[in-house]
Amino acid sequence: MTISGIFTILMYALAPFTWLLVVGSIVVISLHLLAYLRGYQITQHRSRYATILAILIGLSAVAWVPWLTHSTLANVATLFDWVALTAGIVAIFIISLVILHPLSYLISLLREG
Amino acid sequence: MQKPPLLSRRDLLKVGSGMGFGCLLPAGMTSASTLQTQAHVVILGGGASGIAMASRLTRRLRGGKITLVEPRETHHYQPGWTMVASGVWNAGKTMRPNADFMPRGVNWVRENAVSVDADNKRIGLASGSTIEYDFLIVATGIQLNYGLIDGMSPELIGQHGIGSVYASIEGASRTNQTIESWLASGQGKGIFTAAPTPVKCAGAPLKMTFTTLSRLEESSRRERFAVEYMAPGTDLFSQPWVDEFVKQRFDEQGVKRRHHYRLSAIDPQAKQAEFAFVGPESEFTSHHELREAEFKRDNLQTVITDYDFIHVVPPMSAHDFIKNSALVAQDGPFRGEWLDVDIHTMQHNRYPDVFGIGDVIGAPINKTAASVKAQAPVVEENLLSVMQGNLPSARHTGYTSCPMITGIGKAMLVEFGYADDFAFMPSFPFIDPKDESWVTWVMKDRMLQPAYYAVLEGQA
Repeated sequence: MTISGIFTILMYALAPFTWLLVVGSIVVISLHLLAYLRGYQITQHRSRYATILAILIGLSAVAWVPWLTHSTLANVATLFDWVALTAGIVAIFIISLVILHPLSYLISLLREG
Repeated sequence: MQKPPLLSRRDLLKVGSGMGFGCLLPAGMTSASTLQTQAHVVILGGGASGIAMASRLTRRLRGGKITLVEPRETHHYQPGWTMVASGVWNAGKTMRPNADFMPRGVNWVRENAVSVDADNKRIGLASGSTIEYDFLIVATGIQLNYGLIDGMSPELIGQHGIGSVYASIEGASRTNQTIESWLASGQGKGIFTAAPTPVKCAGAPLKMTFTTLSRLEESSRRERFAVEYMAPGTDLFSQPWVDEFVKQRFDEQGVKRRHHYRLSAIDPQAKQAEFAFVGPESEFTSHHELREAEFKRDNLQTVITDYDFIHVVPPMSAHDFIKNSALVAQDGPFRGEWLDVDIHTMQHNRYPDVFGIGDVIGAPINKTAASVKAQAPVVEENLLSVMQGNLPSARHTGYTSCPMITGIGKAMLVEFGYADDFAFMPSFPFIDPKDESWVTWVMKDRMLQPAYYAVLEGQA
């Protein structure tokens, strides 16, 4: 398999989700830009609620990621199945945090001001 | 007149991959060597094999002419039909315009081929015109011989409790509707059949049984449904370990197995099926040729049984115009029914300017899209060798793959080849072919279709 072949497969695999990737990117960039313009710095801001919520969303993926693939948690059986599902949970936790972290900053500004 | 688009989906993919990776690769990794030629290469068939070969040869040949004969405008992702017939996918997910994949520069003849004159290197078309070739790639796929089952025709699928995943995408959708109706009836007998010939996607009859069992078990009225599997031979699958696994799983899931029976006739109005006893002394296996005479024998023992749902798997062969040509196998297990090729070099055994690929070839296994992926680079290399006056040196291992769906939501990634009695050839060290796995199901559900399209583009 060539790198070009891998890229072709990924392009076809992601094509149905292009709209989701575009919308998601717009949301993330907009949130970060808006928060940044109001003094947000990713390393300075602390939000326990954003972190806990992101962890909960990540853990909830155990239930709905198999469902999204027309399957159920009962079919997650092999070691590699669990590795893949865990990777999915971590990815969803990170994506959630990337959205919730600047959002929590903007909400805290609203509360203060 | 409609103007062609500036950039097709295919072009966008190429631009994307070029921008993303082209600069990272040394020149030798981005393109294989090309051959200057004046030869006319004709590809018969525009399914996975035909389009994959057109894509590959377009990149490798300079100056020659490539003609592809294919009447259909729509490309069907046939490995997805079991997902449609099982109620998991919508039919639309499996269809795309053939034009999306047709490489630029290929002369696409939108007609049916009706004859091959291999001695004079000439193809006859349905319109009466002919095409002459220097080199021929036969990629015509398979012919479904529903007519060899008395009373059966593809038009019956979706009526009288008859399903069949193979006939067409419409047939797959109607099969799903028929299964739903049977489930809604709350009881009854379902019969799943297999064919006494090589078939495309040999796992499909088993997958249809397993996914229907999933739906029956989900209905929580499993005990009110009887399920039988009628197999023409001793084996249910060519890979020995998987064969034993499936038999054991069928037994555990309450499927009554009957061996050495083939579906010989069907009475749709009465919902009755006739099965002919064909073994074990005259056992049909996937290696035996299909002979109409044997299907018409009068002295066969038969049994007639009622059904509420029946999944029909038709006998299969190469298309009649291939069977009627000199290209068909003259002896051996594929005599009179399949293309006569060396199963390792893919070159015709008697006509060195002819190659075969895909379902049409006479081979003990290898009627899957995964086989096409493995065969296409071999045909490409060997054709170019022969065009340069050399002997074909690339060899096909017989690699084939079947994501064996053992229930809706789980599957086994079964990959094997010719060697060592169809020993496993796993591609991924972290996926055991003997394990039922969610990841393998996800591959079937999400990744194999993109990989298939990459094969069409000659990228995988």
